[in-house]
Amino acid sequence: MMTRISVLLLLSLLSACANYSGPSRPGAPVSTSEPASVRDAAEPVAPAQEAARSFPVQVPPQRVDIPAQPETAPPPEPVPETPRERAAPAGTPASTLLASVDQAIADGDLERAAAVSERALRISPRDAYLWYRLASIRYQQQRYGEAEGFARRALSFAGNDGDLSREINNLLGQISQR
Amino acid sequence: MGWLVRRFVLVLVAAIAIWCVWIDYKIRRDFSALQWALPARLYARPVELYAGAHLSAADLTDTLQRLGYREANQVNEPGEYNANSSRVRLWTRGFSFWDGEEPSVYVDVDFLGRRVNSLRGNEATGELALARLEPVEIAQINPDTGEDRVPLALSDVPEHLVNAVIAVEDQRFYNHFGVDPIGIARAFVTNVRAGSIVQGGSTLTQQLIKNLYLTEEQTLRRKIEEALMALALELHFSKDEILGAYLNEIFLGQDGNRAIHGFALAAEHYFGRPLDELELDELALLAGLPRGASFYHRRRNPERATDRRNVVLAQMMNQGFITQQQMEQAQAQELSVSARPTQRGSGYPAFMDLVRNDLSRDYDADALQTEGLRIFTTLDLRVQTTMEAALGDAVAAVEVPDGPDRPAGDPLEAAMVITDASTGDIRAVAGSRRPGYTGFNRALRAVRPIGSLVKPAVVLTALESGDFTLASILSDAPVTIALDGGDSWSPRNYDNQMYGDVYLYDSLQRSLNLATVDMGMKVGVADVVETLRELGLESNPPPFPSVLLGSVNMSPLNVAQMYQTLASNGFRSPLRAVEAVTTGTGERLARYGIETQQVADPADMFLLEWAMQGVFERGTARNMINRLDSNLPLAGKTGTTNDLRDSWFAGYGSDLVGVVWLGHDDNRETGLTGSSGALRVWTDIMGRLDIQPRQSFAPSDIVFQRVAEQPVRSGGGPDCSNAVMLPFRAGQLPDPATRCDNTDTLIDRVRNLNP
Repeated sequence: MMTRISVLLLLSLLSACANYSGPSRPGAPVSTSEPASVRDAAEPVAPAQEAARSFPVQVPPQRVDIPAQPETAPPPEPVPETPRERAAPAGTPASTLLASVDQAIADGDLERAAAVSERALRISPRDAYLWYRLASIRYQQQRYGEAEGFARRALSFAGNDGDLSREINNLLGQISQR
Repeated sequence: MGWLVRRFVLVLVAAIAIWCVWIDYKIRRDFSALQWALPARLYARPVELYAGAHLSAADLTDTLQRLGYREANQVNEPGEYNANSSRVRLWTRGFSFWDGEEPSVYVDVDFLGRRVNSLRGNEATGELALARLEPVEIAQINPDTGEDRVPLALSDVPEHLVNAVIAVEDQRFYNHFGVDPIGIARAFVTNVRAGSIVQGGSTLTQQLIKNLYLTEEQTLRRKIEEALMALALELHFSKDEILGAYLNEIFLGQDGNRAIHGFALAAEHYFGRPLDELELDELALLAGLPRGASFYHRRRNPERATDRRNVVLAQMMNQGFITQQQMEQAQAQELSVSARPTQRGSGYPAFMDLVRNDLSRDYDADALQTEGLRIFTTLDLRVQTTMEAALGDAVAAVEVPDGPDRPAGDPLEAAMVITDASTGDIRAVAGSRRPGYTGFNRALRAVRPIGSLVKPAVVLTALESGDFTLASILSDAPVTIALDGGDSWSPRNYDNQMYGDVYLYDSLQRSLNLATVDMGMKVGVADVVETLRELGLESNPPPFPSVLLGSVNMSPLNVAQMYQTLASNGFRSPLRAVEAVTTGTGERLARYGIETQQVADPADMFLLEWAMQGVFERGTARNMINRLDSNLPLAGKTGTTNDLRDSWFAGYGSDLVGVVWLGHDDNRETGLTGSSGALRVWTDIMGRLDIQPRQSFAPSDIVFQRVAEQPVRSGGGPDCSNAVMLPFRAGQLPDPATRCDNTDTLIDRVRNLNP
């Protein structure tokens, strides 16, 4: 009996610990310092350095805007002819998983978003945009050390994709102010 | 006298009343808090299906068989598949992953060689880019009782099974109060007529009590107590609660030191498939087991098992649960035999060791044994099984037999670690040349000098200092270094030769000791130790000059960490074996994400990588060039320690890092160099795994320049007839004495004239 009670206690303790660095901690400074950028729909996407993408995902980085406040501003539904739509044709593993990342962020579950990004990285380990995405998620979680590592890794794969490199450098700048 | 009897009766009644109250209390207390100790279950990384995935039809079929999928001509429901050499059609079961729900889908997979060519769904799924199989369960951490079960809600138990159990064990279950005198009488008559025991007299409730309190005693007192407990149970709990508990509690077989409890686990154990995929005849077989799991074991006693199954089916028909036609069809079925015995327990002991190590930080042994945790690991079954299948023979092929000059002793041993080149996930581990060996785990605990595996760190330190390029000229000449305390150190090359002036890149590829010491003493041993620690070295060795030649002790696992950092171009990611832990119902408890930290400059890493690719092309690994033809370029380094006691090879492609160590537990000589031993084993296994070529892209500050084939320090201009093309950091070009290109700008020239 005592062991059962202690097991229950331990379980609740564990789940409490697991929830500790939970995704929706209040007070996260999300309004001013987000790495996300809003892209002009008409602006063409610069293709990344082809060589920097690994088989089999041969698509340029997908641009998905990270909502500044997931609770109040869910990510817009993808509309045809946005850069993202052209960049990641539906039906690639990356686009499928990036949609899950968006969903997880919209649900406020940043840890799941990170996990799905990692799953995408196992499929496309040299995709600069995926590393950048993971960096942004860790930044939102205020895990700045990890965010920096991922951002630097993203930069090392960005090749001659100037736009993406600029975004990554912006994020690195924000991290260094922390 | 009468007074005495009356008093005695009174006391007896009071005692019995107290006994009853106590039993009633105990039953209510225990049963409402009924929570089984559940083993933690460990899962391999699930197989992902997508166009381009590194997977052959045979690999996929193997995984499906492990998961207990049934081969069928038509794939009509979850858990079925149909395969040929280039196409596999299957219907996944779906799984509640910690990062989301994976739906059950039909997938048609087309293969091209060792890769997935395309993926198609059906009308229901539409276009399909990605599908994930259920993870294969690789091991579990059992409670001390050895009991194992997969608890299932009554509503999830197939109706046929419930009916079969009731028909054969307790047909008046819904009509009695825990004990059933009519049932006992009826069973007696039935058994006499049949001439053997086909029906039991004790109710399901009584059997449940017997199982819960584990009493083998057959005394009258126990019998009465059991009956009272059964009555108390019926008084306080519903029939469904009792039936649900029974179906999960009942003992149904023994698997080594693991006791199989409950029907859900029995289905997995006997058929390798979940309960809801079983047919009537298979369910009837399971329902016959409570009477004697071993006696009716279908592999050991197939005839008895068939008879018992048919009796169960007949009882079901007699009681109107199935039609005569259903009974006859089911009775006509062959006793199905699962494709292979389920692999569990200590399947991958060396990997389990790492998992336990990782988990012990956050979980105590009790939590792992009792809470039914689900542990999602990074183990890649394709990589692990390929390695295990080849390792023993590969080691035997290089082993030098004991002879007159080599004393006998422990046999040659091995350890191997394979990690993901990008994330640091541990994908396979061997702690011995024998797969499944549960003793000393050399991958983790054989901490040995690493020999020349250290040299990339010396080169990286030199490149980072800014004073060296790949074309820097080193002196491969005798040297004596004075040590603290008046001793001195005179290193030698492996072959006792000296090579004079050599290029830096050449000294690494040919693993020249004297040239390395020349370079290392210039950059400083302390800086080299610092680089090693940045790359992942866990210990902190004193900066003795012998560090430059690898008198640093590391485990194969720690070497894998160091080379993982090299493989990911200077980003160190801690190796991990566990990705997430959830409760038995899928609720996330902990997650161990990828981490990464940049520890070296990309340009320096590019130069180092270029030199290390040359180890295969013209260095100490060139003897393997034909066997790795389709895999090159790869990067790596051989390592040999004093008197040939340790034979190392660490190498990587774009997808995998592999580290092989060969040596003796008693530290005898192996007769092997890194090149003649570990490299061959590495090549055999990484070749089977089809290790992918490196993809390296020059950072923008890298330029290529030609230098003279022979290093000359000065003189009448370089001999450029056989020039070699090397990468350099812009602004840090080769010495004019060896340079064959003059494409640099005036500014570069000025910079080079006044360094």
